[in-house]
Amino acid sequence: MGRHVAIVGVGQTHHSRRRTDVSQAGLVREATDRALADAKLTMEDIDSVVVASGPVLFAAVNQPEKWVVDAIGARLKPVVRITSGGGSGLAGALQGYYQIAGGQAERVLVVAYDKLSEGALQYSISTLYDPFWGREFAVGIMGFSAAYWRARMDVLGHTEEAAAMVAVKNRQNALSNPYAHVKQAVTVEEVLNSKPLAWPIKLLDVPPISDGAAAVVLSSERMAAKSTDRPAWIRGMGYFCEADNAAARSLLVSEPLALAARRIYRSAGITNPRRQFDVVEVQEPYTCFELSYYETLGLCQPGEAAELIRSGATAADGDIPVNPSGGCAGANPIGAAGLIRLIEGAAQVMGKPAGLRIPNAKTALVQSGGGWANLRGIAVLSA
Amino acid sequence: MLPRPDSFPVDLPPRHSVLSMPYTLTPGPATGTTLAALKQRRLLGSRFKTSGKVVVPAQDFCPDTGDSQFDFVEAPHTGVLNAFTETAEGLLGLVRIDGSDVDMAHRLVDTSYADLKVGQRVSAVWSDAPDAGYLSLSGFRPDASAPLGKVEPYAGGVEAVKVVPYHLDLHYNHAYGPFFGRLFDEMRTSGRILGVRMPDGDGALLPPREIDDISHRPSGTWVEIKQTGTVLAMSIIYLEFVGQKQPPPYIYAEILLDGARTKLIHNVSGLDMSRAKELVKPGTRVRAVWRVERTGSLDDISHFELLDGEEQH
Repeated sequence: MGRHVAIVGVGQTHHSRRRTDVSQAGLVREATDRALADAKLTMEDIDSVVVASGPVLFAAVNQPEKWVVDAIGARLKPVVRITSGGGSGLAGALQGYYQIAGGQAERVLVVAYDKLSEGALQYSISTLYDPFWGREFAVGIMGFSAAYWRARMDVLGHTEEAAAMVAVKNRQNALSNPYAHVKQAVTVEEVLNSKPLAWPIKLLDVPPISDGAAAVVLSSERMAAKSTDRPAWIRGMGYFCEADNAAARSLLVSEPLALAARRIYRSAGITNPRRQFDVVEVQEPYTCFELSYYETLGLCQPGEAAELIRSGATAADGDIPVNPSGGCAGANPIGAAGLIRLIEGAAQVMGKPAGLRIPNAKTALVQSGGGWANLRGIAVLSA
Repeated sequence: MLPRPDSFPVDLPPRHSVLSMPYTLTPGPATGTTLAALKQRRLLGSRFKTSGKVVVPAQDFCPDTGDSQFDFVEAPHTGVLNAFTETAEGLLGLVRIDGSDVDMAHRLVDTSYADLKVGQRVSAVWSDAPDAGYLSLSGFRPDASAPLGKVEPYAGGVEAVKVVPYHLDLHYNHAYGPFFGRLFDEMRTSGRILGVRMPDGDGALLPPREIDDISHRPSGTWVEIKQTGTVLAMSIIYLEFVGQKQPPPYIYAEILLDGARTKLIHNVSGLDMSRAKELVKPGTRVRAVWRVERTGSLDDISHFELLDGEEQH
């Protein structure tokens, strides 16, 4: 089905709480320049552009792609904007993947960004909710996420201590990531004692609010060798949804993520994820999500996530390292977050991560999602 | 089960809603410097190094080539009117500043639509208002005697504006549709919560809808839902944020009403918040408390209160 597609160049900005030295378009330009340089290409070599970003309410510019294409020198090229909340970056990459797999393009630039310093974040996110049914009670997705974490505590044993260990691990890993904007080692006690924001979610369970952009160059097999002799091949990629408020939804696991994993694992030949993946990058907007994804992605059985993090298996030197980049705990420009996870997974199998390197990483799993729990996707990459 | 007969829709006028969003926009170097220069009655452009294009007002990237290397230039205050239109806000035009390779959009002032002609000479009109921002340049007026200006080297002495405060007030009129129309009309007038039966007749969909999300079969007849229910999930909100409807701390809860198969989002309150963690959990039983004045919204339920002595496991 379709042609082989590889990631042949990656780039991201040095993320920060507020970049006043560049506009939104300038942020996009930085990431684009780095990805093109990494792929040893110029914009002339690019057939098509995908711009991904979060809700326009984040920064008050509608159809930002019309502005962005000028800023990256891509005028007169095919362009489309993809938006899917926190999953925008991965959903954008998926559109580029389709274009090349389907034979419509040889090389696609996918650039994703958000400049979250500009708007009112939780208020903007609350507009995800039905204006008649729940929006007046929404607390971004934090109220919702915390509520179902509380429910998973009882059923699956995802304790506050286990989530705190995720914060400790990811913040430790972020110390080595030159692009992360939060570099602060924390202890379990510090996380547990940090200020509650939406209990059980506390300040140190939460990623920073970031300005940042990320870009990848996707290539067909025919052209990949012009950029690198060690691309990251996309062995499978998908993005799924579920009904928002249908009967019999427990929300204890992410159903669309489970669907994506089963479907893509099958096409990529993954039958034992714990053993077959060398490294995993998940988008954990809050620590509790990482625990849930361990189970949904099959890194352990339901109810075993707390033990998995406690055992150290997901640490950078464990047998199934998760977020050696530091994950969202290091930086979280929402619209770019999924593409950053893809870049970090790809960089491991390309043998050139900017931060911690997982030795001999050949196969990587990348997860990202948007909405509250109803839009989720994965990618499987290999050397 | 027999299909649901059509019922008469209850049509409510659309619900008005306003999103009032504050912003702190970052203009970037070119626009930030241009905004600051306008306060000094100077108009800046950028001359791109590889393409040689001059763009007024200044931009960070060449619109033709994407070149990011440029020098600021001082642009003249005169140009040619290339297009114009009349709007409710006044006259707008595209002005090609002398020496620029692109048009700039701005207001046309001290003139009328009948007096405008494409190709006529115009000159800048400046504002005396102290914080006019981009409108420090009020606009352009026809000026047949305006001399042909020239782009000059940048004279310096401008500190770029880094952040521009901005605000959006977005007004919406949301249509209820027949199912939400009946639901909210009943809530407002009689304090009843109505769902529709699941296609299999076992329980109800709340909010009511025409088609069941999973089986994709038409939903059943209307049914009143009990006003007691069970907390599925809850969190305690301490976070403060723009647009928040109530002061923290308060409890965010997803609640399954008895007889419903789908959840609603609301608050549990009327309890000792210092004991919130032990008093409200998944499984805790709650009951709706209504407001006296009701408008036809989920907020007509003031909150959910604890049902004493009942807990479902």
